[in-house]
Amino acid sequence: MLKADNIVSHRQYQVARLFSLLIILLLIARYFQIQIIEHEIYRLKSNTNRIRKVTKNAPRGLILDRSGEILVDNYPVYVLTAIPGEMNDKKNQFNLIAKYIETDSSIIHSNYNKYYRGRFVPTRLAKDIGFSQLSNLEENKLNLAGVYYDQIPERYYPNKVKAPHLFGYVKEVDRLIRRDLSNRELYELGDLVGWSGLEKQYESYLMGKRGTYFFEVDASGREVGPASELVDTRPDPGYNIQTTIDHNLQLFIEKLMDNRKGVLLIGMPETGGILAATSSPDYSPDLFTGLTTESEWKNIKDDPNTPLINRYIQGTYIPGSIIKMITQIAILKDGNYDLNMTHYCPGFYQYGDRIYGCWVTNGHGNVNMIQAMSMSCDVFFYKAVQLIDIDKLYNTFKQFGFGKKTKIDIPNELAGLVPNKAYMYQRYGKYGWSKGSLLNFAIGQGELLVTPIQVLNYINLISTRGNSPNCHFVIVDNLPENSNPQLEEIIWKQVFEGMRSAIADKKGTGRKSDPKIDGLIIYGKTGTAENPHGDNHAWFVGWAEYLNEKYSIVVLLENGGSGGAVAAPLARKVFTEIINNKLFTS
Amino acid sequence: MILLKKTNISDAPWKILFLSLFLSLIGLIALNSISYQNDSIIHNPFYKQLFFLLIALFGFSISFFTPKYIIHKYAFVIYGIGIGIVILPFFGSPHVGTYRWLDIGLPFNFQPSEFSKIVSVIALSRYLSDHNLKIKQFGSIVLPIFICLVPAVIVLNQPDLGTALVMLSPVFPMLYWAGARPFYLFLLIAPILSILTAFNVILFSLWAMIMAIIIFYSRSKIIAGAGYFFGNIFFGLLARPIWDMLNTYQQNRVLTFIYPEKDPLGAAYQIIQSKTAIGSGGLFGKGWGDGTQTHLKFLPVQESDFILSVIGEELGFIIIAVILITFGYLFNSIIRNSFLSKDRFSSLILIGIGTILLAHVFVNTAMTVGLIPVKGLPLPFISAGGTFLITSYLMVGLIMRFSIAYSD
Repeated sequence: MLKADNIVSHRQYQVARLFSLLIILLLIARYFQIQIIEHEIYRLKSNTNRIRKVTKNAPRGLILDRSGEILVDNYPVYVLTAIPGEMNDKKNQFNLIAKYIETDSSIIHSNYNKYYRGRFVPTRLAKDIGFSQLSNLEENKLNLAGVYYDQIPERYYPNKVKAPHLFGYVKEVDRLIRRDLSNRELYELGDLVGWSGLEKQYESYLMGKRGTYFFEVDASGREVGPASELVDTRPDPGYNIQTTIDHNLQLFIEKLMDNRKGVLLIGMPETGGILAATSSPDYSPDLFTGLTTESEWKNIKDDPNTPLINRYIQGTYIPGSIIKMITQIAILKDGNYDLNMTHYCPGFYQYGDRIYGCWVTNGHGNVNMIQAMSMSCDVFFYKAVQLIDIDKLYNTFKQFGFGKKTKIDIPNELAGLVPNKAYMYQRYGKYGWSKGSLLNFAIGQGELLVTPIQVLNYINLISTRGNSPNCHFVIVDNLPENSNPQLEEIIWKQVFEGMRSAIADKKGTGRKSDPKIDGLIIYGKTGTAENPHGDNHAWFVGWAEYLNEKYSIVVLLENGGSGGAVAAPLARKVFTEIINNKLFTS
Repeated sequence: MILLKKTNISDAPWKILFLSLFLSLIGLIALNSISYQNDSIIHNPFYKQLFFLLIALFGFSISFFTPKYIIHKYAFVIYGIGIGIVILPFFGSPHVGTYRWLDIGLPFNFQPSEFSKIVSVIALSRYLSDHNLKIKQFGSIVLPIFICLVPAVIVLNQPDLGTALVMLSPVFPMLYWAGARPFYLFLLIAPILSILTAFNVILFSLWAMIMAIIIFYSRSKIIAGAGYFFGNIFFGLLARPIWDMLNTYQQNRVLTFIYPEKDPLGAAYQIIQSKTAIGSGGLFGKGWGDGTQTHLKFLPVQESDFILSVIGEELGFIIIAVILITFGYLFNSIIRNSFLSKDRFSSLILIGIGTILLAHVFVNTAMTVGLIPVKGLPLPFISAGGTFLITSYLMVGLIMRFSIAYSD
């Protein structure tokens, strides 16, 4: 095995020993030089002229509305910090501070523990210090060795626009958060990081760059001047982002939806931009700034009406009749449908051994496709949909963006659900379901689930003959590609006629949405979605045309009742507001 | 057999293990001083290090109880595995912009390049002990260099210049140990030095003079010697114009590569702080836990790469000297055992591992006091860092195994 003999000579051995000895001696000599010979220099430097590194947070970029109005702003807040190693009597000093700033010393204590990073690193004790409290502290500075205050920029909302789900909130980076950030080297403890909504989506634009200042400080920690050998960098504010939100309209719908539960979205089909969006109930965005008390937070978190959920991207709802245009398009496209065909509606329809009811129990009589859309006759669709199968219907749903994320520019969107054959097989087995499911899907019931933002995109696509750009809140150069369904003109005509008739016909289910203003033409569809968990959800979807402008709208009232009776009148108020306040863009 | 094995083990230089543990103890004392009071156990560098020390001792017993002939027989297999694991991180996602770490689903990451430091030494020892006769020729030192170059180049792309340099460090000492002519080794290093010195006229002239003397005394043929000399001069003269031809950003990229901290300000700042910390410690230090400089947390990696600043400030020159003398004693023992080895394979393993440890000690210790540019290399046994601690004790196991004079 290890046959080769060792033939290292004595000379080689001595050379190696000498080499390692010289290295060790060189190192010892260098440490001797610094620690013993030059000790006095470094001791002075360490004791009397320590360099303190102070970082200053950059203000985050602002969030603007479409006319440049500031929706989310920054304002300076005072924070109280302490350098633990410079404090002489922590317990006593904490009590004093608590007294001066009128808070509980246990809060100061818990903040101290939360932010502590080391004996000589400024540790945050309290935030939102008022001016009088500050002067209290200043007067008693002698007893508060090691205690400092500093200004940091905080979020604030100058226009009274709430939209908390849209703006999202920022969080202070603590040790745990920092550990989980993928680009953690950019953040220090106490920095702000976008945690939801636009703040999170556009974090890389908004965050800005922290500045660093170096100070020489004397033995008692007083700054004696800038450190000459090191270069300061100034904080670099984040970029502003401009949204498509109209702050007046946003304020209006927030008020309108106050004390209601649901969603109201207003969009511009031609651009895909969203003019106003609210998910109700909501909460004040100020909740996440300042010192939120544990109980305030708990109240909101445990509210059974779930104000924290952003319903327009995270609420998945049964759509009901508002998706009948999908069924209509699928039948016209793939079903060989004869436009003169009528079906008789007696108020119910028997398929196999099951009875499928129409919402008008007395029946609609003989109806053609336009009348069926206008009066939202279910039986017509039960019969007509049998010209196609589940997968054909599924494909049309997909073409209009259902069953997948819309790629709206706020995070944590849900995809909803559109079943196809494969899904039904997988969920119910080969014989566990029948073609009767198709009848349910045709009127928007059954396993179907949609998010309101998908519905807005769907209305945008219909109103622009399939050409609407992707829905978005922030004006950017490259929008994600929208699904742009291309159909024959005759199909679009049928859809428009049906939706127009639902508003203009005296029996139309959506007639209450029309404010009857000259030059204003409304297209729409109501929905009353049967909901296994409670009262029906009321929907109104549609768009208004006025002076070459289009405004799309989605109204959803959870457990609100009938779409025509409850949701359509809200749409009328919105249309009236848009016209009266001359919100049209041109 | 059993009797023989027992004698075997008691013959091993156990003092090497005890001295390593002594160094680790000093490291733990320093780590305990800088650990956050409020950190949970899993994020506390002190407890983490303690935990890894136990694993490291387990690793030690594995490498110590592995028979020599197995390592000899499978030297190239081990080498292949070592190369394999440094490639692995490239298939994962980058961690803080580099491919150094492997996420193994535990609360800490694993840095495979640490283990690979050993494998080049093993493969090189096998190669050099197998090729007994040809080592006096120039051509036979090419393949050994290649053996070390492969893992080093991969690691260089992670990118990790410090580790790559450490991986290359054993080549020349081991070649020298195996009997290569020092002059050939000089021929290999000379062009690099020619390029580096080219940026300073005095240094370059000095270097040219040294080169001329060495070539003269090497008694090589006139034409070969002169050709080599002027070739080097030419190299050096070319270096400056080529450098000037580069764009500023390209120059910066090269500089950033050599000085890993993106902005020179960062590195300068670290050195100022580190020197102030160490210098202000003086002979006896400021006392355990009382280091004002280190507790300012100015040094971002003080628990690993800059652990000596903590020790220097809080425990003083006395303890620094103790550490360096302990290391010196360790190196001396390793070289002595290598000299006394009966077989060449053992002798080369010892000198190779000894070089790797020495390279770490030199680079880390010299960097902390500003003797050389900042390179992210930990101090063996003392710095926090799980993978490297385990590797260090694997090396201790190998050193002790190969120091046993009997060949098995």
